[in-house]
Amino acid sequence: MNKQTILSIEDEKNIGNYIETILISNGYKALKAMNGMSGLSMCTSHHPDLILLDLGLPDIDGMEVLDRIRGFSNVPIIVISARTQEKEKVEALDRGADDYITKPFGSEELLARIRTALRHSNQVRSSVGVEKRYSCEDLIIDFDKRLVTLAGEDIHLTQIEYKLVSLLAKNAGKVLTYDYILKEIWGPYADMDNQILRVNMANIRRKIEKNPAEPHYIYTEIGVGYRMKEN
Amino acid sequence: MGQELICFLSHFVMLGRRVFMRTGKKEKMTARTLSANILVTAVLMVAATIAAQAFFHYSSNSTSVAMIYVLTVMLVARYTTGYIPGIVASLIGVVCVNYVFTYPYMNLNFTLDGYPVTFVGMMVVSGVTSALTTKMKYQSEILREREKLLMEAEKETMRANLLRAVSHDLRTPLTSIIGMAQAYQENYSRCTEIEKLEMVKGIQEDADWLLNMVENLLSVTRIRMGDTRVNTSPELLEEVVAGAVQRLHKRLPQAKVHVRVPDEVLMVPMDPVLISQVLINLIENSIYHSGSSDPIDLIVEKQQDQVEFHVRDYGKGIKPERLKTIFDGGGMEVNVSGDSHKGMGIGLTICKTIVAAHHGEIRAMNREKGAEFVFTLPLQEEESGQDYSEQKTEGEYKDE
Repeated sequence: MNKQTILSIEDEKNIGNYIETILISNGYKALKAMNGMSGLSMCTSHHPDLILLDLGLPDIDGMEVLDRIRGFSNVPIIVISARTQEKEKVEALDRGADDYITKPFGSEELLARIRTALRHSNQVRSSVGVEKRYSCEDLIIDFDKRLVTLAGEDIHLTQIEYKLVSLLAKNAGKVLTYDYILKEIWGPYADMDNQILRVNMANIRRKIEKNPAEPHYIYTEIGVGYRMKEN
Repeated sequence: MGQELICFLSHFVMLGRRVFMRTGKKEKMTARTLSANILVTAVLMVAATIAAQAFFHYSSNSTSVAMIYVLTVMLVARYTTGYIPGIVASLIGVVCVNYVFTYPYMNLNFTLDGYPVTFVGMMVVSGVTSALTTKMKYQSEILREREKLLMEAEKETMRANLLRAVSHDLRTPLTSIIGMAQAYQENYSRCTEIEKLEMVKGIQEDADWLLNMVENLLSVTRIRMGDTRVNTSPELLEEVVAGAVQRLHKRLPQAKVHVRVPDEVLMVPMDPVLISQVLINLIENSIYHSGSSDPIDLIVEKQQDQVEFHVRDYGKGIKPERLKTIFDGGGMEVNVSGDSHKGMGIGLTICKTIVAAHHGEIRAMNREKGAEFVFTLPLQEEESGQDYSEQKTEGEYKDE
């Protein structure tokens, strides 16, 4: 079987090695770039299936690397950021990154993000269209029938609530920023206040989660957005 | 006489300017203060003239009129910046008294008997008052600056203390990480698989602990050092609580926490990252120090104008003698119980700082079984009012 290639652009040697070890032991082909420029050239020459990009690079700003890659390719990019500001993550996502992961991260987390990003990019490429349903443990969403059931029971959602859940479910595993969700649901001219979104989320949570403070399906990424559990 | 007068005047102005400069006021007269000065002077002079006119109408006593002007000159000197307005006011006063209120009316006559006395008197009054007020303002400014310096020094010591405590707390886990990593390499062939696994586990444990430490430190940088206030935004309570528990579980997957939040959708003004740090610190503190593996309760309750967060464990409780100082770095003392480096001194101090910056309160107490930490957050944003007053004082400060 053809191995999927993953390029990591990371200047820290130890972390680079750590990522490489994880990738290789999980059946990916790993490429390593130690700075932004070599990362860019490797991206053009090797056409990786996915890129892990550290935002703090010695030569050029990670954001610029992101912009430049997006200039010629739609390859999924997962940004690696040190926990500084949520703003940075949001900016990276809004500039075209597919997901982000915060340092320090465990191997499980990294692999899960990689799988999600690869899957979503495959969906787009094969243009089979998104799945017809989302199902994760007790929660099932039927996109055709616009039906949401939890453990076999119908869940009654308002129009907006259904739109929200299905948007998250179609992007399950991926973090969606507040702005993105607002634009998708309320249109590009919506008031940029995310309060309404969050109140809606709170209501949804009360309908599908057993304990809203220990959510099982929809996670909050504080200051960034929401992420739905992968099916 | 006229020439003498001008000479005297210019001399006085020069003198005034020199004094003005000597008082060390670096600020130039800005357009704003200038217009304020002109306005104050004009208003006061007009008021004085009206009052004098009224007074004069009834008594036609020009001495009293002069007194009114002297008083006005004093007021002008008091409520303006620098010497010039006072001098201008006294000039106007002299001319007015001469022109309007002394015989011959509506005529300037500087040769009147005793006239120079009135004039010099007014000049001196204005000069002295201006000097006094300028000095007063200058001194209050010095006082304020000194106070600021003092506060900064205090903050500096606080920061230094924190740094000292931190480096101590950082060094301990680092020592064991480095030590174990070395031991692992040196004894690689001699150790059994289980021993090796133990070592690596130990390394991870200490590294995890270090991570929380670093996160705590990072959170301190989010509190603006200057005024220990935070940038709050209305946050959904359950999201912050869930985020905190999630982050805790990422690091301590075996931690058992029971969470309960109000059913109501509650938006609470806060910095979510900081408050989740408080929650993590409190829960982690309970896990490490309760000496019990019973689940920890995290209960949030809504009260009239605040929300109350309870973190309750069912362990051995807090020693009564430590209760008082537990948030003031009381945990930094050498741990008698021997649970080594996991003194959460800094963690709890940071909790207190964060909660205080949110205008909340934090306290610790012993229950029948175990300990309970409670902190509150106000539901209403009281910041706006304070913000305003603060800006105002800042503005006033700039004006002077």
